[in-house]
Amino acid sequence: MRAPLRFALALTGLATAMPVLATSDFPLEAIAQETGWLNLGHYHPDSLGSGFTSQADDPDFFLSPDGKHQPYAELAATVEAIQQPGGGDSHARCRFPARDRWLRERLELPDTPVQCPDYQDWSETLNTDAITLVFAASYLNSPSSMFGHTFLRLDPPSDDQSTDLLLANTISYAADAAAHDSELLFAYKGIFGGYPGITTVQPYYEKIRLYSDIEHRDLWEYRLNLSPEEVDTLVAHAWEIRGRNFDYYFFDENCAYRLLALIDIARPGTDLVGEVSTHAIPSDTVRWIVDKDLVASIHYRPSAATAVSYSLKQLSDDQRTLAAAIAYGYVQVDGPELAQLEPEQRAPVLDATYDYLRYQSEADAWPREFAAPLSHQLLVARSQIEPSGTPPVPPEPDVRDDQGHNTFRLSLSGGRWDDRNFGQLTLRPAYHDLLDPPEGYRPGAELEFLRLDLRYYTDHDEVQVEHITGVEIRSLSPRNQFFSPLSWQVGFGGRRTDTESARVLTPYLEGGAGGSWSLGSSLQAFAMATADLEIDDDLRHGYDAAPGADLGLMHQSPGFSVLTGIKSKAWIVGSQHRQDQAYLNGSLHFGRSLSLFADFTREHHYDRYRNLWHVGLHAYF
Amino acid sequence: MKKLIAGAILLGASTVTFAQPGCGVGAMIFKGQSGVGPHVLAATTNGTFGNQTFGMTTGTLGCNTNQAVQSMAMYMDSNVDKIARDMSRGEGENLDTLAVLLNIEAGDRDTFRTLLQDNFAAIFPSSETTSGEAVEAIVSLMEQDQALAKYVAA
Repeated sequence: MRAPLRFALALTGLATAMPVLATSDFPLEAIAQETGWLNLGHYHPDSLGSGFTSQADDPDFFLSPDGKHQPYAELAATVEAIQQPGGGDSHARCRFPARDRWLRERLELPDTPVQCPDYQDWSETLNTDAITLVFAASYLNSPSSMFGHTFLRLDPPSDDQSTDLLLANTISYAADAAAHDSELLFAYKGIFGGYPGITTVQPYYEKIRLYSDIEHRDLWEYRLNLSPEEVDTLVAHAWEIRGRNFDYYFFDENCAYRLLALIDIARPGTDLVGEVSTHAIPSDTVRWIVDKDLVASIHYRPSAATAVSYSLKQLSDDQRTLAAAIAYGYVQVDGPELAQLEPEQRAPVLDATYDYLRYQSEADAWPREFAAPLSHQLLVARSQIEPSGTPPVPPEPDVRDDQGHNTFRLSLSGGRWDDRNFGQLTLRPAYHDLLDPPEGYRPGAELEFLRLDLRYYTDHDEVQVEHITGVEIRSLSPRNQFFSPLSWQVGFGGRRTDTESARVLTPYLEGGAGGSWSLGSSLQAFAMATADLEIDDDLRHGYDAAPGADLGLMHQSPGFSVLTGIKSKAWIVGSQHRQDQAYLNGSLHFGRSLSLFADFTREHHYDRYRNLWHVGLHAYF
Repeated sequence: MKKLIAGAILLGASTVTFAQPGCGVGAMIFKGQSGVGPHVLAATTNGTFGNQTFGMTTGTLGCNTNQAVQSMAMYMDSNVDKIARDMSRGEGENLDTLAVLLNIEAGDRDTFRTLLQDNFAAIFPSSETTSGEAVEAIVSLMEQDQALAKYVAA
C-alpha cells in the first residue's frame, strides 16, 4: 500500500472514531453537564453522590450501554451516531431528532439534510402550529380525580378552514395499568412504583369523551406561547420518548411531571421540573406555567355534567318538572304537555331532557331498552324545530382551579381543652378542606393528605401529637329532583382518644355515607351514618368500634365558611358508652392566602361535659 | 399505536383503506356502533375505545371510495351519539367536525347542517340505526343535493 493512500485511510478511520474532537471550544464532558443535555436525557442529580441518573427506564432510550447513569457517555455515543453517514428510520438522527438538533447547534456541526420517512410522516400528520396544555379539573365524588390531570394538545394552524380542534392530537403520559388491577393495587403500585408510564398520542375528541363525557370533568385549555422552533423541538422530543418507559409514580413522576419536562426542553431555562419538590399536583403545575408567563390564552370547556346542570337550571320550574316527567317516562314526547309549548320553549326542554337522559344512562346506567327509544324520540322531535340562535352554554367560572388557594397550609393557633390551655401548629401539605377558601375548588369536596397537628400544653410544658391524618376525603354532593349522588367520607390516621383516664394517640379508621341537600345557593344540610374503628393497646380489648351519625349544615362562600352540627358515636366493644358532640367551626377568608378560623366543640363522654375552644390563622403557600 | 393510527387516518386519510368485501360505505364499517341511544357511551367506558377493530389495512381498495367519506364514517362510529344530538339541533361542534372531514367549504356548511337536521328521521329511522347505516343515508342525501353532491363523489 502506498503511503498517501495509507494516510488517507488513517484519516478516514480517525474521522469515524473521533467525529468531534473535544477541543477547548467544545469540551464534551462539560457540555454533558449542561441543562439542555440533562433535560434531553431526563437526567437528575443523584441524592447520594455526585452522579446523575436518567428517569427513563427503557434501554432503547439510550445509545450508550452506560447512558442511564452517565450523561457524558450518552452524549459521546450520540455525537458519534448522528455523524454516521446515511439516514433512514433506524439512524440515530431519526430516532433522536431533538438531540440531533440540540447537538448540531451546540457543537456547530453542519446541518446536513437527512431522510427520516417515519418521523416526517408523523410530524406532518401532527401538523402542529401551537401547543395547548389541557387541564382536566377534578370532579366531586371521584377521589381519584381530585388531583386533576394534564395533557398536551397539538393544535394545527388556525388559518385553514379545515382546522378542527376536536381532531387535533394530544400527547399524554399515563400509568399503563393492567385493566384487571383492583383500585387498591392501583393505589399501591402508583405510590410505590411498579407501573410503567407510557407516552401516548390520541385525538382530542377521544380525550373529551373520556374526561368530559365519562368522568364529568371540566377541561381548561391553556394555549402556550411557544415559538415555532420551540414547538418543533417539543414535537421532536415527544417522538424520542414515545413508547419509551418512564416508571410512573402518582405523586411526583406523574402525568403532569413528564409534560413539564417536555416544556423545559422546548424552552430551555424554564426549569418547571425544578418547581417539583415532593409532589406535582396537576393544578399546581398549571400555576407554575401561568407564573412563568408561558400562557397566551385560556379557554374553558364545560363537561357534559356541567352542561346538563346548567341547561336544567335555565328552564323555568314548570319546564323543569316537565323535563323530569319526560325523562322518567311519565309524560310522552308526543303528548299534549310538550305540544302546547311554543317551539322556542319546546327546544330547550327537549335539549335538556336529552342531555339529562344521556348523562343518566352513562352515570347511573339507565337501561338501554328504556333510554334508547326515548332518546330517539326526543331527537326526532327536536329536529323538527328550526334552530333559533346558539343555545346557551355554561359560563366560564370566575375563578379557575389554578387561581384557588395554594395547597400547602400552615396554621398557628391557640385554644383551651377543658381546663388546659394550648398552642397548636398544623402542617398540611395538600390539599383542601371544607373550611378553606372555596373558590377554584369543588363545593363540598375535601381531600387532605399527611396533616400533622402538634400541641404545646402550657400547664405541663408538654408537646403532644394531637392528630396525624393519613388521608381524609369527604364528598358532600347535594341531591335534587335530577341527581341523587351519595355523600360519603373516609379517613385514617392517628388521633388522641379518651380512655376515661388518659388521652392516648390511637390509630383510627373512619368512614360514612349519607345524603346532602341544598338549602340555598351556598348552604347545604347533610346527614351521614358513620363508622369508627380504633386500635390500640390502651383500649380494653385492644380495639373499639362505633357506629354513629353526623348531622350538620355547611356554608361555603368566598368571604367565610361554616360547618356546624351534632355527632354521636356508640362505642360497642369496650365499656359500652356514648360519645356525643356539638360542633361549630367557622373560617373567615382574607383573599385566598389567609383565613382566620375558630372552632368550638362541646362533648359529652364518660359522663362529663367538656369544651374545646380553638382560634387561629391558616396561611396557604 | 392503534390509537395513533386511528388519529393519523382521520387527519391524513390518504392511503389507508378498509379491507372489506364489496363496495359502498356500509361495507367499510366493520363493526358499526348501533343506535343513537346513550348506550354507545357506556360501551366505551371500559377503556377499549380506540382499540375497536375496524379491520383496516393499507393498500388499495377494489373500488374507488371517497377518502373523506371514510374519515367521516370513522368519526361517526365513535361519536354517533353526540353527532346525532348536534344534527337534531342543526348546529354544534361535532357537526362542524363532520363538515371538516368531508372537506365541505364554508359557503356550503349551512346547507349541510340544514339538510341533516331536516332529514334527521331519515338518517336515524330508529334507535337501532347503526352508524354505518346513518353514514349511508347521509351520503345518499348529499348525492341528491346539488351543492353537496361533489363532496361525496367517488
